[in-house]
Amino acid sequence: MSGICRDTAAPEVRDQASSARAGPSRDVARDVAADPAPDPARDPARDPERPTGSPRDDPPSDWVAALSSSGTEQAAALAHLHALMLRAARHQVWRMRSQLGDVGATTIDVLVNQSADEAMAVLLRKLHTFEGRSRFTTWAYKFAVLQAAAEVRRTAWRSRDVELHDVDTLRDPAASPSQEAEATDLARALVEAMTSVLTLHQRRITIALAVELVPVDVLAERLGTTRGALYKTLHDARTRLRAELVRTGYLPAPDPGAEAHSHVGRASATGVGSDVGPGRAPTPSVPAIPFSPVLSDPDQEVTP
Amino acid sequence: MSRSPSLAPQTIARLLLSTLPWLSCDDCFERIDSYAEAQLSAQPSIDRHLMVHLLGCPSCAEEAQSLMDLLSETDRGRPALG
Repeated sequence: MSGICRDTAAPEVRDQASSARAGPSRDVARDVAADPAPDPARDPARDPERPTGSPRDDPPSDWVAALSSSGTEQAAALAHLHALMLRAARHQVWRMRSQLGDVGATTIDVLVNQSADEAMAVLLRKLHTFEGRSRFTTWAYKFAVLQAAAEVRRTAWRSRDVELHDVDTLRDPAASPSQEAEATDLARALVEAMTSVLTLHQRRITIALAVELVPVDVLAERLGTTRGALYKTLHDARTRLRAELVRTGYLPAPDPGAEAHSHVGRASATGVGSDVGPGRAPTPSVPAIPFSPVLSDPDQEVTP
Repeated sequence: MSRSPSLAPQTIARLLLSTLPWLSCDDCFERIDSYAEAQLSAQPSIDRHLMVHLLGCPSCAEEAQSLMDLLSETDRGRPALG
């Protein structure tokens, strides 16, 4: 059982920050095909110290006041803000550029400018929400990082259909002879749990996000929903699956004193250990970090 | 896309990851700037909700790590945060 989601998004309005941007914004899809390969030696975006069109005067000491003012003070602040947006967008696009395949410097530059423009427009609409819990520049960077990351993922998946699968498309765990018996046993129990405790919608979303690794914002765009709504669906599915596997004895009951443990990783280095299974006694947790190898485990002590 | 994915151990771990305590992607975005600065400061603080969210949401995790890397780059030569 599957459904196919194609990228049919209408062209977006991308001119909201045009008063401050450095160059024209174009649709990336048009540029991918005709774009020449970049010359690393000449590509200015490769140099993190490359000037980004920053104004010559100093940035405002009070960003919110300056951006909310008028005349030359506001214009200068907008120019400084756009330089920040460009820097963060460039950082993000280059960081993820391997996902874009063989694209050229023009495409990269279009993505950077487009992301910076749209992030700036979003930021300006939310300017009144800045509370000073971080530096303004850090607060501003996050808008551009988010926008650029989403743009790269959208571009990378533009030509790919996303199929929504049910559990019947998952390969029989027994077809992987190299896996340990416990892993196969747990996999079978997990598939049974997916069938018995998840709705069809939950199964499809969970498989797309956690098995096939479709980016959450790409899937949200294809389904006409939000990243937050899909993550909530995945969260609910995980919670139901864990409860069912606790009930059937494949996972130990959660420690009531520890809210945020990753018991899945009660595991060997392969991710599924000998203490996982019906009737097995719990052993100390070895948290698995399936998505983000560079980020800290919340159960680790943080030392200065 | 017609591949037939299997439930490899890493996939099982992703499916069964505990994402409690709950934090939404929107709330993650709200907190991520102060979190990133805190992580780069001399005395990092713990935001358990956020850290759990980052383990379970690869897109937010990528953006959080990127923001921290960007801050590290731009902060070179400045006094340490915190």
